[in-house]
Amino acid sequence: MTLNSLRATGLAATLGIFIILPFVLEDYWIYTVTIGFYYAILAASWALLVGYVGRISFAQTAMAGLGGYASALSVQHIGLPPVIGLGFGVLVAGLIGFVIGRLTLRLHGAYLGLTTIAFAEILRITITAEYSLTEGSRGLQVAALIEGGTRVEYYFLFLAVTVACLALMTWLLRSRIGLFFQSIREDEDGAASLGVNVTLWKTVAFAISSAFAGLAGGLQAHFVQLITPSMMSLQEMGLVLAMAVIGGFHNVFFAALGGVGLQVLLEALRELGEWRLVVFGLLTLLILRLMPNGIFGALFDALAKRLMRNGNDK
Amino acid sequence: MTHQLLEINGLVKRFGGLTALKSIDMSVGEGELLGLIGPNGSGKTTLLNIVSGYYNADAGGISYEGRAILGDAPHQLARMGIGRSFQVTKIFQRLTVLENMLVAGLSDGKASRSEATARAAGLLRDLKLERLSDTRASSLSGGQGKLLEFARIMMLSPKIILLDEPFGGVHPELKRFMHDQLRKWNGAGTTIILISHDMGSIFDLCERVVTLSYGDIICDGTPEETRNDPAVLDAYLGDHHGSA
Repeated sequence: MTLNSLRATGLAATLGIFIILPFVLEDYWIYTVTIGFYYAILAASWALLVGYVGRISFAQTAMAGLGGYASALSVQHIGLPPVIGLGFGVLVAGLIGFVIGRLTLRLHGAYLGLTTIAFAEILRITITAEYSLTEGSRGLQVAALIEGGTRVEYYFLFLAVTVACLALMTWLLRSRIGLFFQSIREDEDGAASLGVNVTLWKTVAFAISSAFAGLAGGLQAHFVQLITPSMMSLQEMGLVLAMAVIGGFHNVFFAALGGVGLQVLLEALRELGEWRLVVFGLLTLLILRLMPNGIFGALFDALAKRLMRNGNDK
Repeated sequence: MTHQLLEINGLVKRFGGLTALKSIDMSVGEGELLGLIGPNGSGKTTLLNIVSGYYNADAGGISYEGRAILGDAPHQLARMGIGRSFQVTKIFQRLTVLENMLVAGLSDGKASRSEATARAAGLLRDLKLERLSDTRASSLSGGQGKLLEFARIMMLSPKIILLDEPFGGVHPELKRFMHDQLRKWNGAGTTIILISHDMGSIFDLCERVVTLSYGDIICDGTPEETRNDPAVLDAYLGDHHGSA
């Protein structure tokens, strides 16, 4: 077995499991995994920016909220069908992401992180304060994406969108743009010396990552049929960060698996209450220290090593 | 008469109270292999950083192929054919050798991936890195890293290459190989500006040597003239000369 066939087998097996799950799970767990897909897209979109371009952002859940509110409001006030509203949400999140990317071009590390926190909080507080439009922290009723849709229908819709997002991200990352992203992560000056337009691609990366987050937020809003500013909180951002780090943020698939996995764990450990977050925080610290490629990255590396050893033995 | 590829006029660069370049005037002819020497802090790398777009100048101008380029971004200059290396190599550690090459080969959006891959394979073969094509750059030795940086620059099909201390920490045998490559590229028409503290390499390779000291050009001549210039001996080669 080659590395490529290991990847293909892993992907097919994972997809197979997710296709079978709704036929064996209770309604409650189908709902939980569906929410997990929302986190999967969010965690993967964060990994795309942080793992591949090396740009830190703590505004990912704020972008999800922005996409969700833009979609919900466009459906409510302009009368757009929810699917078109979703597209509008993606566009708004992408545009704001582009602006943030442009404004933070020269910032790195802690300064970049703090600036994105400030943007996220400005966005969250503005949405909370604009009560007449958003109904503030009480939350806004949102039209359903599938009128009278069942949990299984939503499950497969979320699964399909997640797979499509991951396929799109993979295509992008394997194209020349992915190479430019990674060269910027490695060394901006070195990339520029080889003709890479660092300014452009850093900005585009923020826009793309935000657009995916906006899509996730829109889906979530139209599924739950309620959107509140709490989905944009820093606590939610911390959760997405933990999902990506624990899954493995140098690979969008591993980050996505982290998203689903942690959401399921969150529900399974519900009895622990807020202590769950303490456990995840500790787990994140340990993973960062011991498995920089995350649990799934470490698992894949171990399998790949074993594969190569077996290949050499033959 | 040699066509002037690069012309620098009255270039001034200040860092706060320190004037790194006082008022540099120099021109570089097409096909030249020019050495740029000077003691530490004399302004060599600053000059290179301005020519390649990494620093702005406080006064003066630079023209490249008759076009004013001061203020252009590094990536624009790279696409116009100004390639450069760095004192500390800036190879992309987590990318493979081939991917490092492809970044340069695909950056202008003109070449297809297969064209860039074929071109990269040829350059890697020339530089004896072909078998390492799929190896992560982090696994390369220091010397191999320097060669990869050379190869990446050549992927740009540069008209001029600016090399900042390319021989630092390089084994003598590899250094000879690098000399041969530079002569070969220069023979094929590529203009080269070489910064080095390795006087042997400078005098061996260059027909013209420009010496900087405290942001001023104190000598511009042949290796022989540079060797015997009292100002150079005093400013740069003094200790070396005295201890030899």
